[in-house]
Amino acid sequence: MRIRCPHCGERGNEEFAYLGDATVRRPDHLPEARAGGEGFADWYDYVYLRDNPAGEHRELWHHVHGCRSWLVVTREVRSHAIAAVEDARAVARARKPAGEA
Amino acid sequence: MADPTILPATTARRRSAFEGLAVVGRHGVAEGSPGLTVREMTGLALASVVARQGQADNVRNLVAEATGIDLPVSPRRIEGAAGTAGDGLSFVFSGPGQWLAVAEASAVGRFAAAAGLDPAMAGGAALEISLRAMLAGAAAVAGQGDGRGVLRLSGPSARDVLAKGTAIDLHPLSFAPGDAAITWCAHVDVTLWQRDADPTYDVVVPRGFAGTFWHWLEESAAEYGIAVVTPG
Repeated sequence: MRIRCPHCGERGNEEFAYLGDATVRRPDHLPEARAGGEGFADWYDYVYLRDNPAGEHRELWHHVHGCRSWLVVTREVRSHAIAAVEDARAVARARKPAGEA
Repeated sequence: MADPTILPATTARRRSAFEGLAVVGRHGVAEGSPGLTVREMTGLALASVVARQGQADNVRNLVAEATGIDLPVSPRRIEGAAGTAGDGLSFVFSGPGQWLAVAEASAVGRFAAAAGLDPAMAGGAALEISLRAMLAGAAAVAGQGDGRGVLRLSGPSARDVLAKGTAIDLHPLSFAPGDAAITWCAHVDVTLWQRDADPTYDVVVPRGFAGTFWHWLEESAAEYGIAVVTPG
């Protein structure tokens, strides 16, 4: 598998480290620390629950042996075909604050 | 019992990263002219420059005004023009908003003057101090000269040797003089760039990995014959 880093160009996957799901959002409120407490479900979801799609997925990768940038990679998990690679910083800045639709 | 606060002379002496590894002389196959010539570049001053948030364009403007160097935004190395304040100085792309400044020993004083400091300044720290003065508030600057070793690889087999260790496509159509890469070579994180079409490459290795890297280099280049020349 080869990943086209937006800063360095196409590189082999030995230069990258995988973090995980890029679609989860950290809740912007503190949870009540008990099951069923207000906001607890959001945190439970953020910390533990992940979708496992058999198809396109957005993932965080780190170009650790290159430019050390965090990237958001859109990957078809059944074929490893990569549809898009974006700078994670740009993705984070472009999205709306938590809570806004 | 020896006083533990007094370091033995051998420890206190400055040692280059490849001292004791890059032994001057002929190595590998002894017949024919050497395919690879290796020189440890002990005279270079190195410093990392990392733009603060939103300051990358400001850093690029400040460096361009002082040295005429247009900082690269893709994996390239840009040299200052001869006769300018940037002569002997180059910047290597090191990630978005990040660069590795590389200065020849003779260029450090000239660059200090361009930063408004004493042109009599010399040595690796002078580059760091000058950059910090020039980019105050716009970038974080850290000296790298003591933490990295630099090897200059040249000769007809230099490309073949390097290709054994890195996945970067070094074919002249893909990687030419001026191109640079932050990558893996022999499982060591390196920054490398091509200087000329001979080809000549510079490879920057973390100091702690000098032994690992040298072992790989000597084994990989043995079949071509290696000439290790006096560092400088």
